[in-house]
Amino acid sequence: MAKFPGIKGIFFDEDPLIEQSSKGVNGIGIPDCGLKKSDLRKDESAYIDSKYIRKNPPGLPEVSEPTVVRHFTRLSGWNMCVDTVFYPLGSCTMKYNPKINEKIASLENIKNLHPLTPANLIQPVLKIVYDFNNILCGLTGLAEFSFAPQAGAAGEFAGLKVIKKYFELKGENRKTILVPDSSHGTNPASSVLAGFTPVEIKTGKAGTLNAEELKKFISKDVAGIMITNPNTFGVFEKDIKKIAEIMHKNGSFVYMDGANFNAFLGNVKVSDMGIDLIQLNLHKTFSTPHGGGGPGSGALGIVESLREFLPIPYVKKTAADKNNGKNTSNYDKDFNAENQVYELSEDRKNSIGKMTPFLCNFAVLIRAYAYLLSLGRDNVGSVSEIAVLNANYVKKKLDEILSGSDPFEEGLCMHECVFSDKAIEEGGISTIELAKLLIDYGFHPPTVYFPKNIHGAIMIEPTETESIRTLDNFIKAVKEIKLKTKKSRAAKSPQKTKVGRVNEVLANKRPVFKS
Amino acid sequence: MNNFRYFPNSKKDIAKLYRFLGIKDKKELFKKILGDIPLISDGDLSDILNDGIDENALWRIFSDIDGAIPSKNKTAVFSGGGIYNHFVPSVIDSLISRSEFYTPYTPYQPEVSQGTLFALFEFQSFIAEILGMDVVNASMYDGAESLAEAVLAALRLSSANRDIPANHSDDAVFVSEGVNPNYYSVIKTFTGGTGVKIEKIKLNAETGRTEISELKLKLSNGSGRVPAVVIQQPNYYGVIEDLESLEKIIHSAYDDSEHTPSFIVSSTEPYSFGIINPPGFYGADIFAGEGNSFGNYMNFGGPLLGLFAAKKEYVRQMPGRIVGKTKDGNNRDAYAFILSTREQHIRRGAATSNICTNSSLNAVRAAIYLSLCAKSGFKDIALLNLKLAHILRDELLKTGLFEPLYGGDFFNEFSLKFKANKNEHNKKLDNKKTASEFIEKMAARDIVAGIALSENAVLISATENIRLSDIEKYVKNAKEVLNG
Repeated sequence: MAKFPGIKGIFFDEDPLIEQSSKGVNGIGIPDCGLKKSDLRKDESAYIDSKYIRKNPPGLPEVSEPTVVRHFTRLSGWNMCVDTVFYPLGSCTMKYNPKINEKIASLENIKNLHPLTPANLIQPVLKIVYDFNNILCGLTGLAEFSFAPQAGAAGEFAGLKVIKKYFELKGENRKTILVPDSSHGTNPASSVLAGFTPVEIKTGKAGTLNAEELKKFISKDVAGIMITNPNTFGVFEKDIKKIAEIMHKNGSFVYMDGANFNAFLGNVKVSDMGIDLIQLNLHKTFSTPHGGGGPGSGALGIVESLREFLPIPYVKKTAADKNNGKNTSNYDKDFNAENQVYELSEDRKNSIGKMTPFLCNFAVLIRAYAYLLSLGRDNVGSVSEIAVLNANYVKKKLDEILSGSDPFEEGLCMHECVFSDKAIEEGGISTIELAKLLIDYGFHPPTVYFPKNIHGAIMIEPTETESIRTLDNFIKAVKEIKLKTKKSRAAKSPQKTKVGRVNEVLANKRPVFKS
Repeated sequence: MNNFRYFPNSKKDIAKLYRFLGIKDKKELFKKILGDIPLISDGDLSDILNDGIDENALWRIFSDIDGAIPSKNKTAVFSGGGIYNHFVPSVIDSLISRSEFYTPYTPYQPEVSQGTLFALFEFQSFIAEILGMDVVNASMYDGAESLAEAVLAALRLSSANRDIPANHSDDAVFVSEGVNPNYYSVIKTFTGGTGVKIEKIKLNAETGRTEISELKLKLSNGSGRVPAVVIQQPNYYGVIEDLESLEKIIHSAYDDSEHTPSFIVSSTEPYSFGIINPPGFYGADIFAGEGNSFGNYMNFGGPLLGLFAAKKEYVRQMPGRIVGKTKDGNNRDAYAFILSTREQHIRRGAATSNICTNSSLNAVRAAIYLSLCAKSGFKDIALLNLKLAHILRDELLKTGLFEPLYGGDFFNEFSLKFKANKNEHNKKLDNKKTASEFIEKMAARDIVAGIALSENAVLISATENIRLSDIEKYVKNAKEVLNG
């Protein structure tokens, strides 16, 4: 049997850099840029009006390069991450981030490319954006993607703006977006931001939406529904086609929160479920690293009828045939003109507008594109297959330990599973204590207390990049915690981390924002 | 058959999982879950994807692409317009390549995320120093989105009940024409749902600074309220704005303090605050701009680093995550996200913003960069930017081919017009598209020469990544392209 990873590492204490300052020290070489001595000697007053000039430089630390390197290296040791531990954070898809993709994103010319470089010099870069768009269209069955949204919530906002614009153009003023009560918090927040009123629908025991229940909410004021599928319990919305039918009959749209797309990748096209819009979180399903909170990308996909509303700019493929004028056909399968050129276009008269100063989070996109090329069509379907198998393995195994805690006991989950705190509470341990105890065993905690409508929720997403051996090890830790942990120890955990339980009440009561 | 290299489960393991669940194969698995939703069949994806490839083959594809675009070593980049060609020390790549920084999620569990939280706290502290502002958040997506969220925050601050989305159709936000046009567009996208009008304030035709008389007039004339006035420093055309005068007018526009507009300052180049006074010194209520210049690559335009800062009395209306310093159970210093009740995962529809994932890793890069620069380096590098841009502009003006678009002081970016050429037969460029043609022709000579502002004006920047020899090359080639 495998050992628990535990935590036996070496932690170093470290003071803030500002406290390590020594007057006059810095860690960066100042170039002379080939300037003449006479120019080097001048100060700022030779160039600009003294009334603008800053008298005191900002109070940055005064430290050398080795001090900076040691400081941040020590800090890094205080983090758990995907490369060190099993990280089953539900709804976050913490899969392995392939190293080659980091290397690709760091290619010298690509990472130093200015976004407004003339298009004729950067054709292969524009082609990446175009081709990646095509692949996502193929995987989802949708007509086109926009890469303007910088993360999942931005994708939701863009999608809702698209819906808003559609109705504006039709002369309809629909105000309501339906949102199941089990949805991510970003869904109602994005609805408000886009100028809609979110209306919550109560969901069933496993967070699922019932088509009959939905009908009660249907009116001509409903612009659309935001539905997470599989939902935040990891359960497939089995009424999805009926739901889509009801919505479409009412002239409304079905927006799918694609945060959980890892359950479908390569096996199911969302178009087959009647989905009109989706955002794909490239930092989840498509393996780009989450960076300790970002950056990400929330590519927005839409059906044909919504294409004209997508954000600008976008990459357009044009046939450079001067005799016949420009012949443009974006994302059409049979478009096969010779002398194709790619250009950045703002030509989209009903666009919702811009979301970001330039095109997209390109460095995120290129990693996701490389990921899909690596997998290829022969492996891409294994992603969701193994993710679903792993989650169901954990679900069934943990059900033996946490009996009575699974709100969806009979069925199969998709890429993640959720338990209530029922079984652990009986042993005197709360969900937060379980989370903190798992840390000392060497595991990152699952998502906790979400979804809200399940008591003390514990949400586990193993992903396809974990082995049975790791899953068994994690399950064994949960079992040990449940059987052996004393209440007194639970309250004091974690004990092996750099700091113990953080006082979040104090942090909010007397907030300290800076050093 | 082998497993794919990212999947630890062998084919045998997968068979074991199926046996454990009492399911025959993939078809049955998905059929049981999905019912009648069809599965993608093997042939379905053949139009869009080839078979998977090994790492070496993948590397070749992308290194070929890298070889087919302008070479970093051969090309001099003088384009700015919201993103700048600054030098990135190798320490940053080395430290950021530590998995402990780039592979975790958002620090929801503070005990196992102290490294990221501490680094973000230092980021907030450094940016607060640079801007002269009270509170800085742990990042937004980019400068434009951050600015749009600043306008939304100002709308909330102007409402009697800040928790309920108000109708702002009688209100107008004034945005200087010196604000980056892309930022202006993003503000429009974000404020569309509120009903607020977005009105532009002209620039002075000579100086290029926001026209103070027009601002005064607009503030006294309007019938509705003005929740905010937005100024960019230095502005899109590179000109340094007179924030001191603007602040006085904005903050004393109305006797009634409840109706005082928020003074929002943006910037795409906060490196300028190494030389010029930052917005916090002039009473800016909110700062929202771009921080990519600090230790981040241009990356073809993203990801970027949105900066957001405010006076501390407005902290409850700030979007995004904020790291605070606290203690653990043993009274040791510890860090955690604070004031989360502003955020979507708690407040849902009533949150200050929908933002969740942000630009955390870019912010850590900025923290490392600013640590390396230190107090003296930050100023010295800013001064180099100032000098190089001024030398370049002087040299270009000396050719007689250009004239300044505006006369106001500038930092590392400036705008030039092509001088009207009376000697028609000497003219090498098509009159209708001088600027874009100039840029294209210069690009063919390995010079990314700037951004077209109009048919006859270009926006040019110079950073510490430029050498005097690049400036000489620019001038020589500009002469050849324009004169022959």
